[in-house]
Amino acid sequence: MKYIATTDEKEIGIEIVDEHHVRIGDRLIAVDFVALSDQPLYSLIVDGKSYEAYIYPEEGGWQVLLMGRLYHVHVEDEREKRLRAAAGSKVAETGEFHLKAPMPGLVVSVPVSEGQSVEKGDVLVILESMKMQNELKSPRAGTVSRIRVKPGDSVEQRQTLLSVV
Amino acid sequence: MFNKVLIANRGEIAVRILRACRELGLETVAVYSEADRQALHVRYADEAYLLGPAPSRESYLRGDKIIEIAKKCGAGAIHPGYGFLAEREDFAEACAEAGIVFIGPKPSAIAAMGDKAVARATVAKSGVPVVPGTEDVGDLSDEELLALAPKIGFPLLIKATAGGGGKGMREVRSLEEMPTLLQSARREAEAAFGDGNVYLEKLIEGARHIEIQILADQHGNVIHLGERECSLQRRHQKLIEESPSPFIGTDEDLRQRMGEVAVRAAQAVEYVNAGTIEFLVDKDKNFYFLEMNTRLQVEHPVTEMVTGIDIVKEQIRIARGRQLSYTQEDVSFKGHAIECRINAEDPFNNFMPSTGRITHSVLPTGPGVRVDTSVYPGFEITPYYDPLIAKLIVWGETRGQAILRMRRALEEYRIVGIRTNIPFHQMMMDSTRFIAGQYDTRFVEERFDIEKAEGGSDEAPQIAAIMATLAAHQQTQRAAHVVRRAERDTSNWKWLGRWERLQR
Repeated sequence: MKYIATTDEKEIGIEIVDEHHVRIGDRLIAVDFVALSDQPLYSLIVDGKSYEAYIYPEEGGWQVLLMGRLYHVHVEDEREKRLRAAAGSKVAETGEFHLKAPMPGLVVSVPVSEGQSVEKGDVLVILESMKMQNELKSPRAGTVSRIRVKPGDSVEQRQTLLSVV
Repeated sequence: MFNKVLIANRGEIAVRILRACRELGLETVAVYSEADRQALHVRYADEAYLLGPAPSRESYLRGDKIIEIAKKCGAGAIHPGYGFLAEREDFAEACAEAGIVFIGPKPSAIAAMGDKAVARATVAKSGVPVVPGTEDVGDLSDEELLALAPKIGFPLLIKATAGGGGKGMREVRSLEEMPTLLQSARREAEAAFGDGNVYLEKLIEGARHIEIQILADQHGNVIHLGERECSLQRRHQKLIEESPSPFIGTDEDLRQRMGEVAVRAAQAVEYVNAGTIEFLVDKDKNFYFLEMNTRLQVEHPVTEMVTGIDIVKEQIRIARGRQLSYTQEDVSFKGHAIECRINAEDPFNNFMPSTGRITHSVLPTGPGVRVDTSVYPGFEITPYYDPLIAKLIVWGETRGQAILRMRRALEEYRIVGIRTNIPFHQMMMDSTRFIAGQYDTRFVEERFDIEKAEGGSDEAPQIAAIMATLAAHQQTQRAAHVVRRAERDTSNWKWLGRWERLQR
């Protein structure tokens, strides 16, 4: 199967030949890839060189934490890439953004109100966890809708706090 | 004389104190909250007693309950660690009334140093320089503070009177932004300490945060164990500490002067036990008294590594009424030590706290490496307590050797299940400014960008791409496998839908 991996805006064509070989360009490379002690920690031996990395799935790709650096890698097979090219690559920033609690905590304040328009980076909710107040910011401009929490509420991880449309 | 010690704390520091007690042949008593039933300090101690529900004020801050447990189990002394009850004079007082030794200073010394205004006034009287501010004036209203601010001059800091650890602290650049910042500082101080009072202090730019460890016994002997450089901070939380300070370096004269001033500050309040005098040092090597921490510090191990002195054991020795094991002349410094605080925080997501179960952990070991931790595979990181999960400390002949060793140890360290700030430390150890020792308390916020960190190998992006592709391929294979099997009670499409939902 042929894949195109994109990291740091560089595209690398990687073909999975079989369980122990990949091809990059003309080079056939021996690989040994195993999950250590269950995911997300992996060991890769490539051409005799040994690497370890944490690999986490993320929105639209993978995060690879390797030798103290974090790489965002987008992986798609050739068919997906063709489909995306046909559909046009620009994805407009539409749809709702649901602000979810990144961790359990206590809502300290909600400095916005429903119907208020916000800019990217505006603080939507202040959440206290591990004795620190954390400002949760809007990832894009929009209008605040459906505030589901109020100051003093305890929230669970991934609980939706409010939406930006 | 006591031979059973209750440790009124949790986490790595409780384990650290337990170890000292064990080595001294003392019996140990742990206390714990409902969230900490499986914690290491509970498992290591000879005895363990439940305090109450997870929130600190219902468990680790319940001084009355802790004293009751100590009396019931026959513990003759209580070690408070840091945080929680460590700097509460009322608790130290209550221990004394119950006939239990508090392993720390006298209540009067905690009170004198705990009220920052009194502390500054006291040390200033004995000739120790202090930073200009309104601390000595007492609690002021917003209007009064706004009126005083221009006299101190901008930039300045709003600090919580009851504060510490950067909570309730705000930096003010101009009078216009001050009212908003005052409000948020008071709100945070109120939430953290139950006291919304704040004061102003002149912000010393390019300042370095250097502190002196002192030890004092009940016989009037006071010595200092040299300095710790704690300038590497983020949001006023220390992240990396080292000893000796690369800023003081070979300036023995400055080191001695700071040490003598620290000893004088401790003597001014008739201090007993271990304590730390924090100084701000400006670029011209003028130093100002900041505050005294009347307890064991998080970063005490770097001093232990370069002096060979076990500070916790000395604390217990002092509390037992013995003389210090060392005179000032006995104290010598060898090599260089660095500590990285490993926090459950995601450095790639604005240092957001990370909670969850640790599924796997491999600690760095080998020559010159020390890890003080309290977590293990299967342990759950909860949102109730601070995010410090481990301290990684290394020693080297020279600062350069220590940095190389720290790099090696950080790369060995594996924790799965939560995100940690280990990558931040790795980048810091690669940063030319850190290597050159040219950093101040603002370095992380102003001159460090995790997305544009220096170092990193050239082949790494390609390796990362290969690994992500192999992981993606495995996932696709598994998905295909799920779809292919036909012995389902329902359609494969439904199974796929469920599977996808599970993966989210």
